[in-house]
Amino acid sequence: MKGVAVTGTGLVLPNWGALAQAKSATEAAIKNKKRCIMLWMNGGASQLDTFDMKPGRPTGGPFRPIASKVSGMPMCEYLPKMATVADKLAVIRSMKTQSPDHPDGIYHMHTCYKMSERTPHPEIGAVIAKYNGNPDSDLPSFVRMGSTGNGGAGYLGPLYEPFGIGRDGKLGSFTSPYLPEEGEKKRADLFRFVEDEFTSEHKADPFASHRMAKERAWRLLRAKSVFDSSKDWPKAKERYGDTEFGRGCFMARKLIEAGVPFVEVGQENYDSHADNFVCHKANMQLLDPAWSGLLLDLEERGLLQDTLVIWMGEVGRTPQINNRAGRDHYIRAWTVVLAGGGIKGGQVYGSTDVDGKEVKDNPVSEGDLFATIYTTLGIDSRAKHYHGVRPIWLTPEGTGPVKELIG
Amino acid sequence: MADLSKPSMAWNLTWDAEWVTAVTFLGSSRRVAAGNNLGQILLWELPAKAGGDPPKPVARLDGHINVISRLTSSPDGKTLISASYDHTVRFWDVPENLPAATEPLTLNARMIEDTTRRKSNGAKVPPAMEAKVAVLKSTRTFNEHKEWVVSLELSRDGKTIISGDDGGHVLIWDRDSFAIGKRWQVKGWANAVALSPDCTQACVSERYPLVFDSGRHAAVKIWDAAKAEVFKDLSAEYKGMFFAAAAYALDGKTLAIGRGGELDGMNGSVTLIDPASGKKIRTLAPGHLSGLTDLAFHPDGKHLASSGRDTVVRVWETSSGKLVSEVGKSRGGQFKDWICALAWSADGAWMATADMAGAVQIWTFPG
Repeated sequence: MKGVAVTGTGLVLPNWGALAQAKSATEAAIKNKKRCIMLWMNGGASQLDTFDMKPGRPTGGPFRPIASKVSGMPMCEYLPKMATVADKLAVIRSMKTQSPDHPDGIYHMHTCYKMSERTPHPEIGAVIAKYNGNPDSDLPSFVRMGSTGNGGAGYLGPLYEPFGIGRDGKLGSFTSPYLPEEGEKKRADLFRFVEDEFTSEHKADPFASHRMAKERAWRLLRAKSVFDSSKDWPKAKERYGDTEFGRGCFMARKLIEAGVPFVEVGQENYDSHADNFVCHKANMQLLDPAWSGLLLDLEERGLLQDTLVIWMGEVGRTPQINNRAGRDHYIRAWTVVLAGGGIKGGQVYGSTDVDGKEVKDNPVSEGDLFATIYTTLGIDSRAKHYHGVRPIWLTPEGTGPVKELIG
Repeated sequence: MADLSKPSMAWNLTWDAEWVTAVTFLGSSRRVAAGNNLGQILLWELPAKAGGDPPKPVARLDGHINVISRLTSSPDGKTLISASYDHTVRFWDVPENLPAATEPLTLNARMIEDTTRRKSNGAKVPPAMEAKVAVLKSTRTFNEHKEWVVSLELSRDGKTIISGDDGGHVLIWDRDSFAIGKRWQVKGWANAVALSPDCTQACVSERYPLVFDSGRHAAVKIWDAAKAEVFKDLSAEYKGMFFAAAAYALDGKTLAIGRGGELDGMNGSVTLIDPASGKKIRTLAPGHLSGLTDLAFHPDGKHLASSGRDTVVRVWETSSGKLVSEVGKSRGGQFKDWICALAWSADGAWMATADMAGAVQIWTFPG
C-alpha cells in the first residue's frame, strides 16, 4: 500500500498519496464544512420505476407517476413523500456509464474509475474524509452501514478507510470495553509503552498503521455516545419509518451533525432480475419516508445547505421487462439524484427517449458526476495525487462538473 | 366424464398486447374471459367441440387501467368480476346477446411490431390476426381497497367475496350490496386469499418481499372469517415460505396452498392441509420449477390443478397425491414464461390457462 512522491530534485518521500496537496487548500476545505450522505441502492434501482417513468409504453410497468412539487418532475406513486420535497432534488436522468455488473459497477460508482485499472483508487467517502474531515475529531471521518462500497481508501491510505457500523446504525458489540474505564485506560497506556519500545527497534509502516488504528479506536470510544440513538429514535422513527434503513438514515443525520464528513447508508434488495415490481414496491415504501425524512431533518437543523445527499446505485435497470417479471442491469440510460449541499434543486437534468432506452441529451458519465459532487463539496475534482511515481487525478481526464446542477 | 390423464390443446388464443395474467370461465357457459397486464379484458365464445381455427374474441371489457390480477364469475355466468392493480374490483354484466361488434382489434400486434423492427435481419412479419369486438363497460366498481388488489375469490354460492391487497387489507363483503362483513389487516401484503365453501374460514398468505433486510416477512394463516381472528397460524411449520395461491376443496375438507415467488429448483410445490386441524396432509411432488402461480380444484372435488413459472400445469389426484397429467410442456431455457393463472370449466372437461407470452390456451380432456 505504501506509495512514494518524487520531488523535483529526485528525492523520494514516503507518501500515502496526498503530499502533493497544498496544506492550505486542505484546511480551507475543512473550514468549509461541506458534508455528504450517500444513500446507496445496492443492486441498482430501476429508473423507470422511480424518476424516469414511461407510463403507457411497453417498458412502463405497473407503477403510475404522480405529480411532485416541481412541474415536470413526476415520480413514482410509491414515493409520495419524496414528491413533496422535489424542490430540493436535482434528478439526473441521463447517466451513461461503463460498468454493467455488480463488483465493477460498485467500484466504478464509488471511485469514478474502472475496477480493471491497477491503481487502487479511493472511494468517494475516503476522498471526502481526507479533504473535508477534521483530523482532530474523535469520530471516524468515513462511516458506512449496510451493503455499500468495495474500494476502500485506496491510495489515500489507512487513515481514510471506512468505519463500518450495523445496517441500522448501531455500533458493533466489539466496541464495548472489557474493563471499567480506569482499567481500560491503564491497559491502553501499557499497550502504548510496549509498542513504543517495540517500534523504536522495528521501523515499518504496518506497525504505524496498526498503532494508528488502535489510537483511532480509543478515540472513537470517547465519542461513542454519538452512535446511541435509543433515546431519540422513538420520536424520529415516525418521520424516517421504523425500518433498518430508516434508522440508518437517522444515524447518518446524527453523525453529520456531530461532524462526520461522509456517511454512506446502503439499502438492499434492488437487484430485481425477477419480480422487479414487487421488489421495488417494497423497497420504495421503506425508502420514501427515510429519504424524505432525512432531507427535512437536515433542513430543519440548518444542515442541508452544507450537506450533499446522493441517491444512487451501481447500475440502472433495463427498460425491457424480462420473462421473470424482472429488469436486468442497464447502464446506457439511468438516473441518479442529488440534493442539498450546493446543488440547484427542483430540476431534471438530461432526458431519455420515449422507452427509456437511450439518453436523448446531456449524457453524464461517472467522472462528470463525481466532478460535480466534488465541486459542490469544495474539493478540486482535478486534484493530483501520486501512486508511487504515477500522477493520478481525483476524476478522469476529459470529465468535468455539470455546471447546471450546481447552485 | 372427462379423462384428466389425457389433456389435448383445443385452441391457442393469441392476444399479445401484454402478458395475459388472469382467466376464468363464465359460469357453465362456453364463454372465457382473460385479462392482461395493461388492464384489458377480452371475452371469447368457445365452439362446442375442439378443433378448427381458434375462435376470435367477441367482446372487450373497458374500465381497468392497470394489471388484472384475478378474474371470477358469478355461478350463473352473467356477471364477470375482476380485480386489478388500479385498486378496484369491477363488475361486468355480460348479456346473452352482446352488442354489435364494432371495435377492430389486432391480436398479434406486438409480434408484428417486433418482427417489423427486425425485418432487416431477416425476421418474417406474420399476417395480422384481425378481430372485431363489442365493447362493454363495467356496471359497478368496488372502491374499498386503497392498494393493488392482488387476490380475490367468490364464494361457491356466489354471494360473498374475499379480496386482499398489498397494503395487507383483507375484506369479506357482500357481492350485491358491497356491505363489508369483516375486514382485517395482516402484516405485509395479503397475497393469496381463499374462502371456505361455507364461508366460515379464510386462508391468507402474508408477505413483505424484501430479500435481505430484517423487515422481510412471510406467513400463512387460517382465519375464523366470522370473528376476523386467527384460527390456525401455520407460519412456524412453513417458516419463511411465501405462498402465492390458496384454494379450498369443494367439500371444505382440504385446503391447498402453493409456494410462489421465484424459488430455486422444483420448490414451487403444493401442500394439502386439513383446515380443521391445520395439519399437513401431504405435499405434492414434483413442485413447479421456479415457483407456483395458481391453484384450482376440479369440479369433481377429487382433483386439483396447479400452474407455475415453468409453463406447465399439473393435474393431481388429491386423495393419493398422484400426478395425473402434465398440461403443456416446459419451454426450455434457464427461465421460462409463466402460466400466470388457470381455470376449469363448470363441467370439468375444459381448462383455460393464462400465458405470459401473450395467449390463452384452451385445453380439453376428452372422455
